[in-house]
Amino acid sequence: MMNVKMRNWLIGAGTPVLLLTAWWLSSENSTDPFFPPLRTILVRFQELWLFEHFQSDVLVSLGNLFLGFAIAAAAGVGIGCATALVPTVRWMVDPLIHFLRGIPPVALVPIFISLIGFGTEMRVASIALAALFPTMIATVDGIRSVSNDLMDVARVYRLSRRERLLNVLLPAATPQIFSGLQVSLQVAFIVMIASEMLGSSQGIGAMTLLAQQSFMTADMWAGILLLGVIGFLVNVLFGLLKHRVLSWYIGSRRMARAA
Amino acid sequence: MKPSIRPLAFSVLGIVTALVIWQVLAEARVAGNALPSATTVFANLASTLGLGSFWSSLASTIGIALLALALSAVAGIVIGLLVGSFESVRYATLAVLEFLKPVPPIVILPLAVLVLGPTVEMSLFLVVFGCLLPIVMQTVDGVQSTDPVARDTARSYGMGEGEILARVVLPSAMPYIGTALRVAAPAALVVTVVAGLLGGGPGLGQSIYQAQAAGDYAGLYGLVIVLGLLGLLFQGATRVAERRVLHWHESYREVVP
Repeated sequence: MMNVKMRNWLIGAGTPVLLLTAWWLSSENSTDPFFPPLRTILVRFQELWLFEHFQSDVLVSLGNLFLGFAIAAAAGVGIGCATALVPTVRWMVDPLIHFLRGIPPVALVPIFISLIGFGTEMRVASIALAALFPTMIATVDGIRSVSNDLMDVARVYRLSRRERLLNVLLPAATPQIFSGLQVSLQVAFIVMIASEMLGSSQGIGAMTLLAQQSFMTADMWAGILLLGVIGFLVNVLFGLLKHRVLSWYIGSRRMARAA
Repeated sequence: MKPSIRPLAFSVLGIVTALVIWQVLAEARVAGNALPSATTVFANLASTLGLGSFWSSLASTIGIALLALALSAVAGIVIGLLVGSFESVRYATLAVLEFLKPVPPIVILPLAVLVLGPTVEMSLFLVVFGCLLPIVMQTVDGVQSTDPVARDTARSYGMGEGEILARVVLPSAMPYIGTALRVAAPAALVVTVVAGLLGGGPGLGQSIYQAQAAGDYAGLYGLVIVLGLLGLLFQGATRVAERRVLHWHESYREVVP
């Protein structure tokens, strides 16, 4: 039994190492302009991001990402609550929401560029608007799927409207809200890159595209590598946060499954 | 007013209100020329609908999205069955898949444009890159969730491994695959547009880029509206298709009272 576990763990950890080694060795003497040696890419990675452009580009990109995401999260939960609790509002905004959600988020970037230019405001606004919908829709679904029994109990205890929302509805909807937030975060990351690639001169996305257009392939690879790592890390961090906040829910699910 | 009419009436009211607000803001010229009025946009859109170039862009967007979706579905299900059936393969690919999953296709867009140029192949590659992994991972989950009793029963009836795979494992993984495809279809459309907008691939994304670069704001808004409707259509169509194909599965069966 132990042996199988050990073997699986070894295979799991070994494959990525093997792949990276294969990349390193096979590209060692590469003269193909598109696929420079991994050694060159890593050297450029270190020169570019640690720390020459760290403050001017990496921090700017990440700042926009988190500001836009924070706005989207707050507005998404707020509007979602209003939409879920007031039927009139729901009927009025439902078709509009579905239509706006159908638009590819990146297609909103050119509109924001034409409205407010190429500045930071444009990038934060595009990220916030695009990331708003997943959270909002998940909040509406989460609140509307709270069981009637729970609401009846809240009524029996004569909880006020405020208490019902803050102490019953929102906690019960958190698992769904967090799923929505996770999708929002991924959308925010995509729109962050897109808003930088469309005619901006700052940010990781802009530098990566610029490097591609000027055939500095090693720089482009370094940018792709950094974006990949950021995408992965942001997701992992959010996963940890979700695990902490939802530990009661994960625990109760495990209990239910064991029973 | 009958209660069943009320939601509909309010929906219409909501849409009309939004259009009126848009019209008023545009007439007040809050953003100068950058915000054309609703009437201008719809008039412009109506004249665009008569152009052959619009329809060919629309056709290439839909064509690329659907072709790439079909490619990712076939490849994703085959890879997923393979990865899900062998424990060692699953462990070998786990770390790589988990790293690649949260990386969106836009990250490798510069590389794809560099190697393939602004072509149909570039768009196809990016869409497959974006859709393949979720389908693979859902298929793996589906294979893992196969009822072991059903598998053993099939074996005791003397079915071979291939037959078990085709007649027990695949059907029980179908709802997972259906969910993956329902999520992947709108995503395929989004990536196709991104590939056109940022990478110059053919389709509506490219048209949007051209409209923005030329300062044709009415055209830009019209195209975005078309994309919104197209997105709705994709979501609706995949939901219907999923229900149709999976009508036999218990989570889709309709309860007859």
